[in-house]
Amino acid sequence: MNFDYSEMQQMLLDSAERLMKERGQVEKWRERRHIESGLDADGWAQFAELGWLMLPIPEDAGGLDGTMEDVALLNIALGKGLATEPYINSVVLSAYILDQAGGAHREALLGGIASGEARVALAHAEIGDRYDIDTPRATTAVHDGNGYKIDGAKSVIFDAPSATHFIVSADLADAGTSLFVVEAGAAGLALESYPLVDGTRAADLRFGGLVVDADALLASGAQATDLLFAATDRAAIAAVAQGVGSMEACLDLCSAYMKERKQFGQPIGNFQSLQHMIVDMLVATHQSRSALYGALAALDGEAQARIRAISAAKVVMGEASQLVMRHGVQIHGGYGVTDEYAISHHYRRLLSLEKAYGDIEYHVARLAAAHIA
Amino acid sequence: MDFRYTPEDEAFRQEVRAGLRAILPDDIRERQRLTTTMNSDTHDQRVWFSLLDDKGWSVPAWPTEYGGPGWSAIQKYIFEDEMYLASAPEFQWTGTHMVGPVIYHFGDDAQKERFLPAIRRGDHIWCQGFSEPGSGSDLASLRTHAKLEGNKYVVNGQKIWTSTAYEADWGFFLVKTDLTVKPQAGISFLLIDMKSPGITVRRIPQINDEEHLCEVFLDNVEVPAENLVGTPGKGWTSAKFLLEHERTSSAFIFWNKRELRRARMIADDIVHDGRPLSQSPAFAGRLARLEADLAALEWSVLRVLANESHGFDASVASSILKLRGSEMQQATTEIQVDLLATRGLRAYVPGRDQPAPSLPDWPEYVPGRTAIATIMRAATLYGGTKQVQKNILAKLAFGL
Repeated sequence: MNFDYSEMQQMLLDSAERLMKERGQVEKWRERRHIESGLDADGWAQFAELGWLMLPIPEDAGGLDGTMEDVALLNIALGKGLATEPYINSVVLSAYILDQAGGAHREALLGGIASGEARVALAHAEIGDRYDIDTPRATTAVHDGNGYKIDGAKSVIFDAPSATHFIVSADLADAGTSLFVVEAGAAGLALESYPLVDGTRAADLRFGGLVVDADALLASGAQATDLLFAATDRAAIAAVAQGVGSMEACLDLCSAYMKERKQFGQPIGNFQSLQHMIVDMLVATHQSRSALYGALAALDGEAQARIRAISAAKVVMGEASQLVMRHGVQIHGGYGVTDEYAISHHYRRLLSLEKAYGDIEYHVARLAAAHIA
Repeated sequence: MDFRYTPEDEAFRQEVRAGLRAILPDDIRERQRLTTTMNSDTHDQRVWFSLLDDKGWSVPAWPTEYGGPGWSAIQKYIFEDEMYLASAPEFQWTGTHMVGPVIYHFGDDAQKERFLPAIRRGDHIWCQGFSEPGSGSDLASLRTHAKLEGNKYVVNGQKIWTSTAYEADWGFFLVKTDLTVKPQAGISFLLIDMKSPGITVRRIPQINDEEHLCEVFLDNVEVPAENLVGTPGKGWTSAKFLLEHERTSSAFIFWNKRELRRARMIADDIVHDGRPLSQSPAFAGRLARLEADLAALEWSVLRVLANESHGFDASVASSILKLRGSEMQQATTEIQVDLLATRGLRAYVPGRDQPAPSLPDWPEYVPGRTAIATIMRAATLYGGTKQVQKNILAKLAFGL
């Protein structure tokens, strides 16, 4: 068991902390978030230049073949710097599905993700879902000539406005849930885009007789849902990592504020009630990082142990994030609810990270079910 | 970074598991498995530690020159995990984890020779005399006084919360040997034979019907000067060392894991509405949350053991273990009481002679659950209250 960073990890972390320090400043972020697609092209190019986008991509597809530990470390830094780029959805989640599914699009799309030219969003969730993965899809695919015709709708698809491609799940007659690669500009696809509270973008998607080639099919049935589970687990780990980073940033913000803000003739950090609040935040944050390590340890292990460790991490991080963001705002007093202070942005980002890839209740239920199975 | 156990670690686990199974007597295991008290039976501890010592396993944390097995931190962790899985009696913490390390770190050769082997073999049960009626969280204000007269100290004063004092062979005490200096100076670390004339022990009836905590009255107790450990007036250093050197034990991680296993076992056993309580949404959810919190705690322990080097303050991490560990001790036992509903209200006086439960209405796991959960309120009190821990953390982690 070794908890220390390798040389490569240290370099990764140094570069991430440098860039995030610069980009993470709240004023810059407040300007950036008005970009219509939600994606700052210059920033994304920097991500690519630093090799971050190729980190988890396999070597044979132009990537660095990094471990999930590497990915987690980078995402801690991204969380600290309030990064809202579609890193998790595209580089962690979708890239995993594309790699594992293989097929005609694998190398081109993975290469595109690694270079920054392609961004792939998973379009799986539908109205009525609560993080459902293996329930039948209302969106349908039918054989159409040499390809497939897709009809239906998707709900709250993260990072859709900046995506170049989607992985779309649809019910295919006799084959069950199936995954298709769909280009963003394809005829028959309509997006209704909107910002989320954390400044990222999402969209509802409508498919009206959208036609794809036969080689757009990535996987079907159990293979497809297994891939969705496995990929979502990785995304959940990355979200936990970003949550840890964001919470660690909240601790720094609150600690600094408690020393600088004076009331009743003294720094508010002198008040024991506030000291105990920030200590509760520290404990919760520390436990989240520990739970993240536990999830990483179990990732390649036995299935039930993996499910339990990853869900445990998401539960611990989710509950910790709620405590940290609420206390964080409270400690900042009135300034905490303004858009001008970073703490309110972390509040919104943490809210989003808790809800993404399974919220607390979802993972509590999944953890409980892992004991009955 | 690599968070997995190595194949060598796994092999070590199997070796320890088999070894413990081979030497643990059935009756001791059964008493420990069905325990209704917070601490293990001291008779069983004496027997068990002599058996463990025969294998060289009784003091895993000690340096090899004093009889430790020379295991790595992770191996020690695995060993303790297996001790609890085997339902072996717990360490006699005051001896093996508190005074023992103080003696081999600060003591002279004569003290080491006299006391260490007896601790290793479980021959001596130790108690800790730190707190006083007026000195709880504010330990430095203690008043028990030891006056040097020739080659002996004469001790007068009163200690409280001295667990096991009524059956202890020896006690380690913090006493004032110099009244002229400021509070933390002038304190010395003194070993006292509990059979010395002038010692009176009063057992304190507890919330759980045990009488394990004690008051100790010292009235002109004569203690040979050679029983003072380290430098006179520097006892505070020994006490701090004692409280800090075991950085992970205050997480009670193995204890907590055992109690969550017990809660799950009870939840599987009690059937209501045609399904075990472990499948009722409310209890399943609580158990899942506890499991998640415990997983985090376990990895926090491993982080300290593995000495994570990057941006990591081990003192901060240890205080966090104490805080969360004690909260988990409460949570993992509270859920057991809740699972039992009204049956959990039946009073069982803890101890060896408790009435055997009668099946099938009163399963063997009922006695002790509520008693232990009640006394667990002390977990956030001893060793510095939760609130004091938070004050310390605010200072350590944020400089507040």
